[in-house]
Amino acid sequence: MLRDITLGQYFPGNSVLHRLDPRMKIFLIVIYIVTIFTANTPVSFALVLASAFVLLFLSRIPAKLVLGGLKAVFIIMAFTAVINIFWTTGEELWLEAGPIKIYREGVEYAIFMIVRVVALIVGSSVLLTYTTSPIALTDGLERVLAPLKVLHVPVHEFSMMMTIALRFIPTLIEETDKIISAQKARGTDFTAGSLAQRARALIPIMVPLFVSAFHRADELAVAMECRCYRGGEGRTRMTRLHLHARDFVVLGAHIVLLAAVIALNIIF
Amino acid sequence: MMEHTPKISLENVTYRYSIGTPFEKAALQNVTLGFEGGIITGLMGHTGSGKSTIAQLLNGLLRPTEGTVRIDGQDIWEDPKKIGAVRFRVGLVFQYPEYQLFEETVARDIAYGPHNMGLDDDEIRRRVEEAARFTGITPDIFEKSPFELSGGQKRRVAIAGVMAMDPEILVLDEPAAGLDPKGRAEILGGIRAYQREKKNTIIIISHSMEDMALYADKLMVLDHGRVSRYGDAHEVFSHAEELKSVGLSRPQITKFVMELARAGVPVNGGIYSVEDAYKEVLRVFAEKKKGAK
Repeated sequence: MLRDITLGQYFPGNSVLHRLDPRMKIFLIVIYIVTIFTANTPVSFALVLASAFVLLFLSRIPAKLVLGGLKAVFIIMAFTAVINIFWTTGEELWLEAGPIKIYREGVEYAIFMIVRVVALIVGSSVLLTYTTSPIALTDGLERVLAPLKVLHVPVHEFSMMMTIALRFIPTLIEETDKIISAQKARGTDFTAGSLAQRARALIPIMVPLFVSAFHRADELAVAMECRCYRGGEGRTRMTRLHLHARDFVVLGAHIVLLAAVIALNIIF
Repeated sequence: MMEHTPKISLENVTYRYSIGTPFEKAALQNVTLGFEGGIITGLMGHTGSGKSTIAQLLNGLLRPTEGTVRIDGQDIWEDPKKIGAVRFRVGLVFQYPEYQLFEETVARDIAYGPHNMGLDDDEIRRRVEEAARFTGITPDIFEKSPFELSGGQKRRVAIAGVMAMDPEILVLDEPAAGLDPKGRAEILGGIRAYQREKKNTIIIISHSMEDMALYADKLMVLDHGRVSRYGDAHEVFSHAEELKSVGLSRPQITKFVMELARAGVPVNGGIYSVEDAYKEVLRVFAEKKKGAK
């Protein structure tokens, strides 16, 4: 059922990565992505891939869960690999069969591309989505983007909107499940008929879902008003973020990784 | 086992949620129970006793992990492709069903189920009018949008939508939850009138002892997925201690009359409605007067 979706979900835990400051994690992810795209030699790619698995190990999240998330992008990976193998031209011809020419560079690019995607998904999901609660994530984002307030960007409002949206995903999923069951009980059939008929079968789901979502939003707005919510100005926080030694250690490790990748690019 | 032949029954049914995930949980464990045909049965139990899961098992929305669900002795999952037909035989009204309304007009929303059954227009119109009559929906709101109505009216429209499918068995999950006393009486009274006319089988899931004592023919008390009591109001409510142990209690008016009896007022026990209590107290007064003369 819908509630079994796990991709991009927070996985509670108490690992080093879970305890990192969310602001630091946002910086780290930027550094990490830069590192991934800086790598351009086999040795540096190996290092990037290894680092992704070190992060996975540090997070204490079941590897099966994270790697299972790769299934979703498998088709994209396979597609880009095929394109790279057959359409990249280079200097060293490995195989020629009629119109098909496979060069060393093509195979190399294909492998690099896969490594990049795997490192990107594994690294960023264990560094951020799996190990950071949605609340901590939006809180971190708000702080990181705080300087934009000078330009009159409503940073607090955006982060509040994001928090609320994330908070209501499980609720809406549950609600959708319930409405689907209720309409099935009234004889809606989602599996039979032409495409147009199946699309029409969605109306009895979408209409009540939208109605209840608007209703909920309205109620939430009133509840927030009642508790004197007035936006971000002068608002204090229940949990204050503090940077700890571990945050700087992990930052240091990431900088070393980036430096190593650059060095390896030059040496090899 | 039960002595009657049930219209619809669960046999050794186990149902587990989220199988194969860390969140796997048994909602029902080896449950056997049967509902008599042609009457209203009140299914009662505390929160989490699996009442709502039973409702969804009865009309094939959920498939038992183990065990069988039978209607007139036949396994409803014998041919899984025909489960759609079972959903037309067993109507199910969910808790807070007003959230399932979606059509442009009240009449069209009530007609949605019958329309899915493939009935012709005349038959659909007849059924919509009939269901509206039982649920107290007046024809002047037929052309209104269901979203303009009050909460209580929406509830009636949603119930009418399932009634109009004219199921052999109608299961209602807390149909009167959250309504005022007048609304409760009207909805439950309407369901009773509908059952009396159609002579079909109705199962009402409820927390309210008061309501069930008044509107159900038989009461079934669930405790940990097991039927702990089955019988009419008198039989079930005479076991006060047992009810308490499963988190339910006798109707307040029953308790009140018992207190009167304990205080020395010569009232008869076994009273489950305010109406009856009122008559009983008047009777005692009248007798006292006679005695004084």
